[in-house]
Amino acid sequence: MSINDNLFIVIAASAIFYGTPLLFAALGEVFSERSGVINLGVEGMMLLGAVAAAWVSTNVDGNGAFVLPLALLAAMVAAMFGALIHAFLTITLRVNQIISGLALTIFAGGFGLSSYLANEWKLGREPVSFQFNRLDVFGLADAPIVGPILFNQTLLTYISWALVILGSFYLFRTKAGLHLRAVGESPQTADSVGISVTKYRYFHVLLGGALAGVAGSCFTLSIIPTWSDGLTKGQGWIALALVIFGFWRPDLTLVGAYLFGALSSLSLTLQARGIDISSAILNSLPYVATIVVLVAVSNSAKRRRLGAPASLGQPYEREER
Amino acid sequence: MKLKPLRFGRVRLEPRVDVPKYLNFAVPIGSFLAALVVGGIVLFATGNNPFSVYQRIFERAFGSADALSGSMVAASPLLFTGLCAAVAFKVGFFNIGGEGQFYIGAIMSSGIALSMGADAQGWLVIPMMVIFGALGGALWAAIPGVLRSYFRTNEIITSLMLNYVAGVLATYLIFESDSFWRELTGTGAVFPKGKVIPNVAWWPDFSLGDFVLPLAFVLGGVIAVWLWVLQRKTRFGYEMRVVGGAPSTARYAGMRPARVILAVAALSGAMAGIGGAADVGNFRHALDPKGLQQSGYGYAGIVVAALARLNPIATVFVAIILGGITNAGYALQGPNFPSGLVGVLQGLILFCTLGGEVLVRYRLVRDHSQLKLSVTA
Amino acid sequence: MLSPDSVTGAATASAVAAFGVTKRFPGVIANDDVSVDIRVGEVHALLGENGAGKTTLSNIFTGLYRPDEGFITVGGEPKVFTTPKDAIDCGIGMVHQHFRLIPNFTVAENIVCGLQDVRGRLPMRQIEEEIAALADEVGMPVNPRARIWQLSVGEQQRVEILKVLRRNATILIMDEPTAVLTPNEADGLMENLRTMVSNGRSVIFISHKLGEVLRVADRVSVLRDGKCVSTVDSSSVNRQELASLMVGREVESVQRSGSGPLPGAATVLTVTNLSADGDRGLSAVNDVSFSVKAGEILGIAGVAGNGQRELVEVLAGLRERTNGVIDVDGEKMDRVDARYPIRMGVAYIPQDRLGTGLAPDLSIAENLILKRYRRPPVSRPPFLRSQVIADEADVLMTQFDVRAPSAQTPTRRLSGGNVQKVLLAREMSGSPKVLVVSTPTQGLDVGAVATVHQLLSDAAERGVGIVLVSEDLDEIFALSDRIAVMYEGRILSTMARQDASIEQVGMLMGGSVGAA
Repeated sequence: MSINDNLFIVIAASAIFYGTPLLFAALGEVFSERSGVINLGVEGMMLLGAVAAAWVSTNVDGNGAFVLPLALLAAMVAAMFGALIHAFLTITLRVNQIISGLALTIFAGGFGLSSYLANEWKLGREPVSFQFNRLDVFGLADAPIVGPILFNQTLLTYISWALVILGSFYLFRTKAGLHLRAVGESPQTADSVGISVTKYRYFHVLLGGALAGVAGSCFTLSIIPTWSDGLTKGQGWIALALVIFGFWRPDLTLVGAYLFGALSSLSLTLQARGIDISSAILNSLPYVATIVVLVAVSNSAKRRRLGAPASLGQPYEREER
Repeated sequence: MKLKPLRFGRVRLEPRVDVPKYLNFAVPIGSFLAALVVGGIVLFATGNNPFSVYQRIFERAFGSADALSGSMVAASPLLFTGLCAAVAFKVGFFNIGGEGQFYIGAIMSSGIALSMGADAQGWLVIPMMVIFGALGGALWAAIPGVLRSYFRTNEIITSLMLNYVAGVLATYLIFESDSFWRELTGTGAVFPKGKVIPNVAWWPDFSLGDFVLPLAFVLGGVIAVWLWVLQRKTRFGYEMRVVGGAPSTARYAGMRPARVILAVAALSGAMAGIGGAADVGNFRHALDPKGLQQSGYGYAGIVVAALARLNPIATVFVAIILGGITNAGYALQGPNFPSGLVGVLQGLILFCTLGGEVLVRYRLVRDHSQLKLSVTA
Repeated sequence: MLSPDSVTGAATASAVAAFGVTKRFPGVIANDDVSVDIRVGEVHALLGENGAGKTTLSNIFTGLYRPDEGFITVGGEPKVFTTPKDAIDCGIGMVHQHFRLIPNFTVAENIVCGLQDVRGRLPMRQIEEEIAALADEVGMPVNPRARIWQLSVGEQQRVEILKVLRRNATILIMDEPTAVLTPNEADGLMENLRTMVSNGRSVIFISHKLGEVLRVADRVSVLRDGKCVSTVDSSSVNRQELASLMVGREVESVQRSGSGPLPGAATVLTVTNLSADGDRGLSAVNDVSFSVKAGEILGIAGVAGNGQRELVEVLAGLRERTNGVIDVDGEKMDRVDARYPIRMGVAYIPQDRLGTGLAPDLSIAENLILKRYRRPPVSRPPFLRSQVIADEADVLMTQFDVRAPSAQTPTRRLSGGNVQKVLLAREMSGSPKVLVVSTPTQGLDVGAVATVHQLLSDAAERGVGIVLVSEDLDEIFALSDRIAVMYEGRILSTMARQDASIEQVGMLMGGSVGAA
């Protein structure tokens, strides 16, 4: 038995595999919330992305190098459509962000548009035609310990790593990132120095939508290649919790995403090993852990001043009177 | 907070000083119609004939005494989850856990009905089911309530996570264990399903000719009126309004916002829990995790509450309308009725209601200022 | 950029001007046909009371509002600003009264935020050096790496000014810049402003304080009820003339009629060695002791942010104390719970009237019972008696002259003066022994100020011991029997009004104990 069959290595490798959609979705929400807009529609946007990607992968002819990027693009566009509704309602019409986001998830989610479209498109009868397979990077997939963890993931995972680095650089080292943070901290201040609050908010809510779409496509293009209604199973909501867990920072969000990826994969991994732990406990673990983490973070955020962007959830209204 | 004008190019929205009374009705109705129009576009774009789909929905929802009876059945759980969301949202406690609280109510009430057995008195079993359902829902909702009030943890995500936990629990009781709730004899030994509650615990219906009104709906209506009185006429209702609108003022007045919010959380959960009890007693007569999870009552309740503008009395009527759509959805399931359409319509109604609320708060004004400026300058 | 010649020629060149500007808001005309001309190289004051239209006019200059009628010019050219950016591009910069700074950002980040001439990646080190250099040049040193929340108010204002200067502003609009400063800091600021105009910049100085306007401004435009009533050279007018232009009628200075506490009046409030922490966990109130007799008004003067808010919150049972004893008419107050002071007869009118004192969406009648809803006759558990509530509201509204369509009107629709009257009506209806009141007339118009002062004075007359916290020295001197000055959480000195002078109290507010 090679060292790579060690339980911890298997869990670490699958943590990254199952954590990838969480990471994409949470990163997207980091950008959206940094601009001051909380979007509870992540779950719905992910499902829109998932169903669009599944359609492209099932119905478009060609080779994988053409179809898969197209599927990703379709996923982004579909989810951005959902994000656009939320952006219009919350930024332009200044509607309550909480209820608008919920509406988006109800509209697009497991009982809504994603299931309607999947039904119309007759998805879910067989696996999609093209999938992202695990790569063998530098031929190191079988290298001891690091092989399965770092060099044997799908392309989506490597894209997400690049995004974490780019996203951190963007947020903390560029002018646009500074402006984005300013809009989220104090739209009044940002507006008074000539930053367009509306543009920044629209852009980043849409960016959040695009990434949620990619997150959704992780399911249909790699994790669960056969469509079923509501196949994200609340991961979008966990992604929302991860944003808080990661203190609105891309790098810490990655840590959180893989922790929860490990929990999500635990029941599969352990069952495969014949380890007998009640599946009810294992299945509810990610959800319970989310609650525990939120409680822990909300207490420490109070103490350490590492709170949310100050204007989070508040519509910006320029004229004061 | 005062409202400020909004601008779109030449058109401006100005905050209203007074809201005309008719808008309180016109906006929800208009929103509902607008949602139907947009839904029609979705149907048309995907190759369905919106008129025939809507016509079928209407027939199967309200077209006959029979259809109407079915709609009341479908409206009952929505009424309870609608009240659950309405009462909580009113104080700014965003309880999205109606779904899970509903499951727990179903588990608790079927549990008490099963354990009281076939020899129990009907007049005792049914109130006990209501009480246990309420208790279960209240306790489940108290978890996010306590976390919000005493640990400052956002209730949205915690209440939602508990939906999944409740779903896992219900599934476990029937599919993954030999629990008290599970039927272990007959076909149940092969196909996992819940034990049917004794006949005495079946909730009665009231018949008016062909029209059948389930006890669940009547109970929901009574509770809605009770909630309205509670909110408008009592000391606790007064505290709820102050805490909901102005938390720091509540503290200043010596109220205990944390306790008020916790109490409302429990009250809200109790509503969903009674809904779960009613669902078991009046309709399913057993714990049915699959059926519950496929229904999404908790989420639909949020739509009901929003369209009713969080008013308990209005919730009764909105529940009937949305119940009608849901009922038609069941009746027409299959090639005639696209799956997911119910959710699409619910989401659209919610979007349109939110957009429509803007018309309550603002009025449209043509903006001339830019024009005049360029002339003068 | 500006040659010495153009500076001398500045006496006539227009920097920025408004022509016939009108701006309406629902129910109000904020600016009514206003024309003013600000010249290059002058400090031009906009003088007026609260609500006279000063802030609206400056928001039009900075592109935040668009005028409904009329237009503005910059350097003689008509301009239409659609966004604040347009105004910035024309060299107009605003220093707001409430600073537009992001507390979590550093000084450098705040200054560079929104700048056009930096693109892509931010070279923070280079930017920090530039800012330090600019700060030295204008004599306003700050550390570019400090975070805003670590700075004093005076330093924050410097950052605001540097932010505007870094945008090459030639026209600075200062909105009530001295309101948050100690007298010393204010002197420094005025010196800085004079330096800036002598370099060819222009300053619009918005204020309602006559003295400082006369000291710093070259010319003064007086606004009243949205109209510009006059523009005068500051050398050719005196305080009285400006005051009557500003108010439009004779101002009767409010001087309390009563004689203060009767000899032998009981002490109703004793505070001994009180300390408390602020929101950030730092000490805010430090070993404070004082007492108030029945019928006495104790004025607590001080610049905002020196522990007054925390002190009154402790008295109202809203904030924990770290040390000390509070004694209300012989009874110890020992729990952090707003119910205790209410029960013991301590009434409290907070500074944030609509946010803390009232529930804005509830009606006047419902707000009037806020502190009595648990007790009869209003309460008959589990119900509230709406008829009793309505009747009591009618009585109180008449007694305190609250002007509103009806008792069912939500309090958020009321004017500031009526809001304060509702608060006073409620607090006085509980027959308190002690009334703690924080900045009771901030933001009110002159008429309302007089009414509120009269009501406070009446309350003292009836034997209520009043703690009056205010930044307005005129108010403190008009009402108080004794004056205490708070600085950095301590009470520096307590004196009888007749022994105190405005100058002396002003010095103490700046922390100079030697003057006492």
